[in-house]
Amino acid sequence: MTIALIQALLSGLAVGSAYALVSLGFSVTFTTTKTLNFSHGEFVSAGAFIGMSVLFLAVGKPLTSTSFGGVDPGALAQLSGLAAALAVMGLIGWLLFVLGVRPFARRPGMAWVMSTLGFGVILQSVGLAIWGPKPVVVPSPVGDDILHFFGLGVRPQELLMLSVSVVVMLVFDFVMQRTLIGNALRAVAQNPSVASLMGIPVTKMMIGAFMVSSALAGLSGFMLAPIAQASLFMGLAVGLKGFSAAMVGGLNNPRGCVIGGFLLGVLESFVNLWSAQWREVAIFGLVILVLAFKPNGLFGTKMVEKV
Amino acid sequence: MKVLNLFKRTALVAGLTVAAMAQAQDIKLGFNGDLSASPSAQSGKAGVIGIQAAIDDINAAGGVLGKKLTLVVRDDQSQPPKSIQNMSDLIDNEKVVAVFGPTNSGNALAWRHIPNQKKVISMGMIGSGTDITKPMSPGADNYMFRTSMVDREQVAALVAYAKKSGAAKIGLMGETTGYGQGGLKDLEEISKLQGLAPLAVEKFGVADTDMTSQLNKMKAAGVETVLVWAQGTPTGQLIRSMEKINYFPTMLTSWAADNITFFDAAGKNLAGKPVFLRTMVNPSTPAQKKLYERTGSQLAAPSAFPFVVHGYDATLLVVAAIKQAGTTDGTKLREALENLNAPVQGVMKTYEKPFSKTEHEALKAGDLAFVKWSDDKLIQFSDAITKSLTAADFKR
Repeated sequence: MTIALIQALLSGLAVGSAYALVSLGFSVTFTTTKTLNFSHGEFVSAGAFIGMSVLFLAVGKPLTSTSFGGVDPGALAQLSGLAAALAVMGLIGWLLFVLGVRPFARRPGMAWVMSTLGFGVILQSVGLAIWGPKPVVVPSPVGDDILHFFGLGVRPQELLMLSVSVVVMLVFDFVMQRTLIGNALRAVAQNPSVASLMGIPVTKMMIGAFMVSSALAGLSGFMLAPIAQASLFMGLAVGLKGFSAAMVGGLNNPRGCVIGGFLLGVLESFVNLWSAQWREVAIFGLVILVLAFKPNGLFGTKMVEKV
Repeated sequence: MKVLNLFKRTALVAGLTVAAMAQAQDIKLGFNGDLSASPSAQSGKAGVIGIQAAIDDINAAGGVLGKKLTLVVRDDQSQPPKSIQNMSDLIDNEKVVAVFGPTNSGNALAWRHIPNQKKVISMGMIGSGTDITKPMSPGADNYMFRTSMVDREQVAALVAYAKKSGAAKIGLMGETTGYGQGGLKDLEEISKLQGLAPLAVEKFGVADTDMTSQLNKMKAAGVETVLVWAQGTPTGQLIRSMEKINYFPTMLTSWAADNITFFDAAGKNLAGKPVFLRTMVNPSTPAQKKLYERTGSQLAAPSAFPFVVHGYDATLLVVAAIKQAGTTDGTKLREALENLNAPVQGVMKTYEKPFSKTEHEALKAGDLAFVKWSDDKLIQFSDAITKSLTAADFKR
């Protein structure tokens, strides 16, 4: 039974690391612009397909293939795939900000909610037109052989994703708290007009936040594809869970978002040990409970809305 | 000049009228199902190829009741509202005498009141949902027939296999979708009929990537044979989770495991673990091989061929009913189908009195074949137990 519990913990952390990365992506734009990309999930799918396309090209298959047929693209191709996923998604993030958010941000009304949602629908439709609905199995850069120890089993890709999300969290923590850019970003979030008077290029900061957030979605998609298969629908569930993780952990605290992600993953895994039927009820029950007692999340700081 | 023009016009009108009359005298059949939207669209396309092949053969042999058959095809893009609209269009506007399809079981459940109200035959040849062919109310006249896989018949065969192999320590698993839960309910009911008490019943999400928690519970309960109802990809993920904790019980699954999505998800080494059912393995009889040669090149994947066969046989059965009834009147056709006098020589098998007032399934548990993956091909699974199964072993 102990083994089963530890396996559940390990599996939960692996699943949670996907939520953590997505949750962090929500946090980045929120802390700077007070807006969210409601299509973050679709951006995750898009990142997976961009990485996958590079891998297909590297093994000499057409972009629109649906199977690698057991061919391993190799480390160089994997790194290029990752770079492409980060770069292209960063670019799409810039587009999203310029076309979909800036015209509406900080104005009354919710127009930016609709425009970010619409952006996701566009991405998904374009993806469906190119690749169709079939999920694609993507080879992992670290192989697919299970690592066994003390009766536990985990796939190398799951450990990789776990480490990546922890490292990304630490980097964010450092940048936000200890560097000039971090200070500037927080100043923009606090009060853009004052920040602007202090000589901070507010618009550039906001563009940067959207690019980083979308690149993070690309990273999530690229890391998740070998575990969950690349599918244009893969982002929906993970996007919703990632958002829940951000709400639980605290939308304005990167560390809290990642911890929230891990918390949700582990909770899911433990609920599975009891009864998987009630898993979603337990998860969203927890979200509501946390918001009722700590509206800013477990690790979030109180926000003062100036009217 | 004017006279010539008038003559030309008259000839044209006359020609069109004759053509229209000939059209009106054709017997129209309809197909309503997904041909483009969902992953199962390839099954829909294969089905239409089968129906068309049968129609071509029948027309070449002189047609039915001295008339030619034509097929009106409507794509429902797997959406229930579109499917309902197509159904009314085919029956009310196109005046078809029978409708084949749909591709997705849910759509049949959304519109099965329509053929029943309009008294027009609906012959399923793709969707496998158990409830599709149930009458609207007990004892009511039922216009829903099927010549294809049936979920409940699959479950009957799988549980019969488990029972006969002496597996007492069984566990049941299903995904938390309508498909998974429906199958899980069938599994629970038929296990009970066979006197098997599952040691554990577990569920998992359709997009889950790690089911080790549920599997550890199965392992702790001592389950040695697990029966699984889920779609291709999650079934593949389930086997990958089994590998994580090195727990490989005997696995009997839904036929979704025949889909390439399952093979891809599980990978070549693990795909061979589960045993499941299909209506046929590979084209084996001369008639099947001939039809495969004729249609195989039009299919997206060879695994879609059974739907060509079902489409072909379903058409033959409807035509046999038209011949026997001597009319295309819906009520008379239903009565004829429920009491077909002469055997119908189909491609899959010879159908002898396939339907009755209460039985609307042409294929039963005994017609199904046990299969598994071997490398990247589907092969027949055969052991002492599959060979010894008789009609008496199947409980439903």
